[in-house]
Amino acid sequence: MRFSGRNKIFNTLFFIFSYVAVNAQTTIRGIVTNSNKDPQSGASIRVKESNQGTYADSAGSFLLIVQGKGKRNLELSSVGYTTREIEISLNDTIIFLDIELATETKTLGDVVVISVGSFEASDKAKGASLTPIDAVTVAGNGGDIANALRTLPGAQQIGEQDGLFVRGGSNDEAKQFVDGSLLPSPNYASIPGLPQPARLNPFLFKGILFSTGGYSALYGEAMSSALILETVDMPDKSSAALHIFPQNLGAGFQELSMDGKRSYGINAGYGNMQFYNRIVPQIPDYFKGPEYISTDANFRIKTSATGMLKFYCNYGYSNIGIRSPDIDSSSLFSSFEQVNTNFYSNLSYRESLGNNWKIEASTAFDNYQNGITRKLFNVKNQQLFLPDYPYSQYNLDSSTNSKFAEARFVLRKQLVHNQAIRFGAEYFYNHYLLSSHYPSDDATNMLYNNLIAAFAETDIYIAKKMAAKIGVRAEYSALLKRTNLAPRLSLAYRFADGGQINMAYGIFYQLPEMGYLAQNRDLDFSSADHYIINYQKKAGNRLFRIEAYYKVYHDLVTTYPSYANWGDGYARGIELFWRDKRTFKNVDYWITYTYLDTKRKYLDFPYAIAPSYSTPHTLSLVVKKYFQDINLSANMAYTLATGRPYYDIQNSVSGSPFFYDEGTTPVYHVMNLSFAYLFSIFPKWKNKEFSGIGLGCNNVFGSKEVFGYYFSYNGTNKMAVTPPATRTFYIGLFMSFGIDRRNDFINENL
Amino acid sequence: MKKVIFFIIANFLQAYSIQAQNNYKQQMQAAVTKLDQAASVKDYQQLAVEFESIAQLEKTGWLPYYYAAFCNVKIGWIYQEDGDRIEPFADKAEMDIKKSESLIDTAVQKKELSEVFCVLSMVNRARVFINPMSYGRQYGPVASQYTKLALKENADNPRANYLDGWEKYSTPKLWGGDKKKSKELLELAKHQLASNPDNGINPHWGLKEVDELLKQLK
Repeated sequence: MRFSGRNKIFNTLFFIFSYVAVNAQTTIRGIVTNSNKDPQSGASIRVKESNQGTYADSAGSFLLIVQGKGKRNLELSSVGYTTREIEISLNDTIIFLDIELATETKTLGDVVVISVGSFEASDKAKGASLTPIDAVTVAGNGGDIANALRTLPGAQQIGEQDGLFVRGGSNDEAKQFVDGSLLPSPNYASIPGLPQPARLNPFLFKGILFSTGGYSALYGEAMSSALILETVDMPDKSSAALHIFPQNLGAGFQELSMDGKRSYGINAGYGNMQFYNRIVPQIPDYFKGPEYISTDANFRIKTSATGMLKFYCNYGYSNIGIRSPDIDSSSLFSSFEQVNTNFYSNLSYRESLGNNWKIEASTAFDNYQNGITRKLFNVKNQQLFLPDYPYSQYNLDSSTNSKFAEARFVLRKQLVHNQAIRFGAEYFYNHYLLSSHYPSDDATNMLYNNLIAAFAETDIYIAKKMAAKIGVRAEYSALLKRTNLAPRLSLAYRFADGGQINMAYGIFYQLPEMGYLAQNRDLDFSSADHYIINYQKKAGNRLFRIEAYYKVYHDLVTTYPSYANWGDGYARGIELFWRDKRTFKNVDYWITYTYLDTKRKYLDFPYAIAPSYSTPHTLSLVVKKYFQDINLSANMAYTLATGRPYYDIQNSVSGSPFFYDEGTTPVYHVMNLSFAYLFSIFPKWKNKEFSGIGLGCNNVFGSKEVFGYYFSYNGTNKMAVTPPATRTFYIGLFMSFGIDRRNDFINENL
Repeated sequence: MKKVIFFIIANFLQAYSIQAQNNYKQQMQAAVTKLDQAASVKDYQQLAVEFESIAQLEKTGWLPYYYAAFCNVKIGWIYQEDGDRIEPFADKAEMDIKKSESLIDTAVQKKELSEVFCVLSMVNRARVFINPMSYGRQYGPVASQYTKLALKENADNPRANYLDGWEKYSTPKLWGGDKKKSKELLELAKHQLASNPDNGINPHWGLKEVDELLKQLK
């Protein structure tokens, strides 16, 4: 038995070995990793043209036994990675393979998108990235996109002026761009102590890029910040809309052609605060308005499958008169009247030229006309003309006219793996005319500037996980007769877990304001060097970001002792951002912390000091909740900021400046709430309308806000700069009627 | 010694069992059976690859691509709360389902077309999940449109009724959502699934999904 048993075994072995001789088999062992050597569990390993295959285990390793001899192709794939083919020769042995899969940049779209110094709110935003709607529905922004962005890192809370104050820079150092072109005056003409509304409807934009530094070479003339806005393309339906609020009312329509290739629209609005101001008393006394008229018109044409021509124009009018006790004498009153008109137009065109080339071109035109009348009154409301300084300055008529024109083009070539080359040029024309009429003398200042700029930029991959944007921008100003050359560089490295480190460096030049150039035409460009590093991680509908920066200012404009470029300074800080759309159902919140340390010598500062629009610590919390069952969306924004410095700078008899008074304002904290309730008044209509009631309150807790102080000429009297009313309220109705043609277009494209 | 031999034989059997399954129907049945049990992203990921490799062999059948697409889109739905990860799966699913559609005679195979439209609806819905605020306007109506088309081709398709019920459940009332209608549709889908149980390798998924949603409606 034993013998025969052994015989059986030998027989079996013989059988097996002979079988092997005929049907050779090769064992393939291997490990599949990505470029960071992380195991790719679940990766598929398959012999092509056969059904033999297996998957990598959780350690990324696999075992595959393949029959036959000769050459075979092994296909390795994993979602999100480029499929690889490896040729193997089957020769009865064991083959060891160590296979690395490259991230598939094409399907993931944005593997390494450099995101340093900027927040992008795009209609393509994924996960926890911001969308334009997220940005424009931040509570208490008053329809001004710049206000909404103040809850993002880098921005200061400045209640007495409009615009963005970013990382130690003034609002003049932050510029807005619409479809590539500069928007010279985003708000109605400013009034001392009273921020003015934005001219452009924030819902006009489908893409908002808020750069707090280190931005692309395609843009210039902004030392600290660029707000790059992209307007919407075709609407998806013809519609009409109207809104009624105590402060303003308006109506508009947008018509879309049947073939969906052309659209045009007109909107008009009128606002007058008199009624509101009677219910909610304001300081100062508004004896005129504030009154606003805004009208806009647009057309958009799809010139081809890839071409788009867009036109937008906007006309705005504001009329305001305020009266307040004169700071130099309690028995006198001074008044300030302002009439501002502004026309802005923007024409842009984009088209694919084939072979992955694209052109984007735009032109913009702006005409700004502002008239200011200042008067001094006695208690009997009679105009007074006093010859002594400073009273001699208090009766004044002045008018400013600024004309601006811009033309630019950008050519871009898309290369493999999200790489690209871009270059282009732009031309700016500025014309500035200021006439001042005092009782004693008149003054007129006129100047114009031609500025040309050329720029080039490339997006390249230095390594698989490392992308770079390298750019350069050159500008020549005919008025300054000077040229500048600004290099820009940013780098991004992405970790396997999705985290990303970004760095940026760049020089950012800016022309002195025309008002200063009118005083001294020999001024030079001011500039800032930016050094930025950040870490960002986005996963699971959450986003975390930390960013640190250092900026050096050169050649800032000084006004005392003379108009020159004798200023300089620095800014540095750390900022945190956390957004979470996941933890609480239907709740989206973000938290921002901004630390800023900045000092600069400019204007009449005797030496480098922290400017009055800067504070070291700012904390913001934004919460949005949508109550789906009752169609109510609620928005809350809370901001806490340390006090801001204030100074009364005077000159001694010998002419040297000194601080007559200085200090820090109280801590600023404000909570804003807003609600939108959506409903339909005529639900039975075939094309039912959508209506909403919007209501909100700024500074719900009624905290006393002091933004700074006005000082009398001799410095003995100071008056707090406060908001005109502790709280602001709004409640109103908006309605939208539309023929929803989305389904028609979908059906055509299914 | 015996152990060694048994090991060798076992090894052989394993190696050859793969070849032995070289039969489309058997392979599909095995994969679909696994799919009935699948729950995690990993399960669906592996099955998607498995269906794709079957598709490579059986180039004329619509089912392997259909299932490959379904597995990938299912991953997109699982990642509902993780918008950053969805897109590649939605893209892959769309590619496969379009291949599946091209293998159907759309004039005759109404039932099959209805199933394909269901997956197309899910693909577009998955894109909405990427970020409802930004993608919802664009892809939401497309998803609903595909559900309607699926119902038009075959009103008795329980999966189409499930998707319709899902939409009625998830859409705010103002925009056409209706919880009561949703429950009716889901119960209809459940009834349709029960009256036409597991039919081999043809699409029969849905019961798990319907029950889960009905639980939330209670």
